Amino acid sequence: MVGVVRRMNQLKSQLVRIRIGPGAAVLPNDVTRIHLEFAKKINGGHMGPRKFWREALPRLKYWNPAIPMIVNRTEDQEGPAKMTLYFREAGATLRSDIPQPSSSTEGFAKAPAPVEGERAVTIEMKGRRSEAILKEFMDKTGAMEVQPTPQDEMQLQEAEELEARSKIDRERVRALIEGRKREKAMLAAAHAESAALKAEA
Amino acid sequence: MRKRTVRKKRKYKTYRCYDLRDMEQYSLCDAMRYLRAFEVGNPPATVKYDLAIKLRAYKGGPVIRNTIRLPFPVKTDTRIGVICPEGSPMAVEAQQLGAVAVGEESLFESIRAGNIPFNKLICHVDSQDALKKANLGKILGPKGLMPNPKTRTITSDVKATMQDLMGSDEYRERQGVVRMAIGQLGFTPQMLSENIKAMMSVVKEDISNIDETQPKALDEVVLSTTHGPGFSLDGTFSPKDESLKPEHLQSVM
Repeated sequence: MVGVVRRMNQLKSQLVRIRIGPGAAVLPNDVTRIHLEFAKKINGGHMGPRKFWREALPRLKYWNPAIPMIVNRTEDQEGPAKMTLYFREAGATLRSDIPQPSSSTEGFAKAPAPVEGERAVTIEMKGRRSEAILKEFMDKTGAMEVQPTPQDEMQLQEAEELEARSKIDRERVRALIEGRKREKAMLAAAHAESAALKAEA
Repeated sequence: MRKRTVRKKRKYKTYRCYDLRDMEQYSLCDAMRYLRAFEVGNPPATVKYDLAIKLRAYKGGPVIRNTIRLPFPVKTDTRIGVICPEGSPMAVEAQQLGAVAVGEESLFESIRAGNIPFNKLICHVDSQDALKKANLGKILGPKGLMPNPKTRTITSDVKATMQDLMGSDEYRERQGVVRMAIGQLGFTPQMLSENIKAMMSVVKEDISNIDETQPKALDEVVLSTTHGPGFSLDGTFSPKDESLKPEHLQSVM
C-alpha cells in the first residue's frame, strides 16, 4: 500500500472539497427526493447537467445523506435533460415504502410520478451551465448554503498550497530526468561514432 | 565531480508498514457517508464496497488464501463447471444443483475450443487423473480455474463443494494485502458491518493458523468503493457526527 502521508494528503484534499464548495447546502425538511435525467454524452446540451451531477450532487449528497438522489442517464442525446424535485405537501405524512427506482445508466430509472401528499417541481437543464442549474435549484428548494468552518478553510488552503508545490516539484523532476536521458543518449551516440571510426580504420 | 559512494540498497524482509499515528481513521458510518456522496448517481448494482486488509507479513513464505461465505453475498452470478465421470449419478446430481457444464472428455474438448461458460470449476477425485492427462493448465491456470486440492476444488463430495461455492467468495493475500469486494453500494450500514465482521474473523483465524516461523499480524483495514477514495477504519460503527444517524445511510442510491 501507498505510504500513510501521501494517502492522507490525497484524502484530505478530496474530503474538504466535498464538504465545501458549490452545492454544499442543507435542504429543508420538505424535500423528499431528487431525480435527474440526462444523456450520457455532452452533445445536445447535456454538458451542464453532467457537470451538475459531477460537481454539485456529491456535496448535496454529503450534506443530505438521507435524501435519495437518483440519476437516470440515457443513450438518447436528443432526449430531455430534466431535474425533478419532490416536496412533501404541508401537513401531509408520506408512506415509508414509496417505490423508488435506483440510478441507472441505461435509462431505466424514469422519474416516478409524485405519490399522494407529494408535489413535483421540474427544472429544465438542457443547454444550461451547471452554475445556472444550481442557482435555480437553490431558489426552488430554499436550501441553506453551508458556511465553511475556519478548519475547513485552512485545510483547503493547505491542499491548494500542496498542489502548487507539487506542480513545481513535478516540473523540476521532469527536467532532471530529461537531462539525464539526454546525457545518456549523447554518450551512446558518441560511443557509436567512435566504434564506427574504429571499424573504418 | 565528487564520486558518490554507491550504497547497497537495503532489502526488506517484510512488507513495509507505516506509522499509523499520522493516519486519520474513520468509523464505518462516517466512511459510508463520504463514499455514498462520491458514488451518487451511479447504479448501485455495479458499484462495490472494497475492503483491503493490510497485514504485517514476510515477503515470500505462505500466503493467506481461503474462501468465505459472506452473510450478504456480493456476487450473485456464480456459474460452476464440474469435472466428473460422464453419465455417473454425480453428474446428474451436479446438473440438478445448477452446474452449467458437467462431464469429462467432452468438457475438456469444449474448454480447448475456448468455450468456458463457467467461472468456477471443480473436479471429483475420480476424474483427477483424467484432468492431469488433459493438460489444461495453460488454459485454466491464468484464469484461476484450475482445480486444486489447496483451494478445495478437487473434492470427493461434489454436492457439498458446490453448495460451498454458491455465494462464496475467494480471497488471497497479494503483496501483504488481502483485498475483496465486501458489499454492494445499496447495502445498509448494518449489512456492511456484518460482512466486514465475518470477513475479519475469518482472516484472523487464517492468521492464527499460519506457520509460526513467519508470523503475520493485522495492520490496517481500509474501506473504499469502485470510484471513491480509501478510508482507514478504526473498528467502530456509529458516526462521530451526532446529526448523522445510521438510518440516514439506507436511502436508495
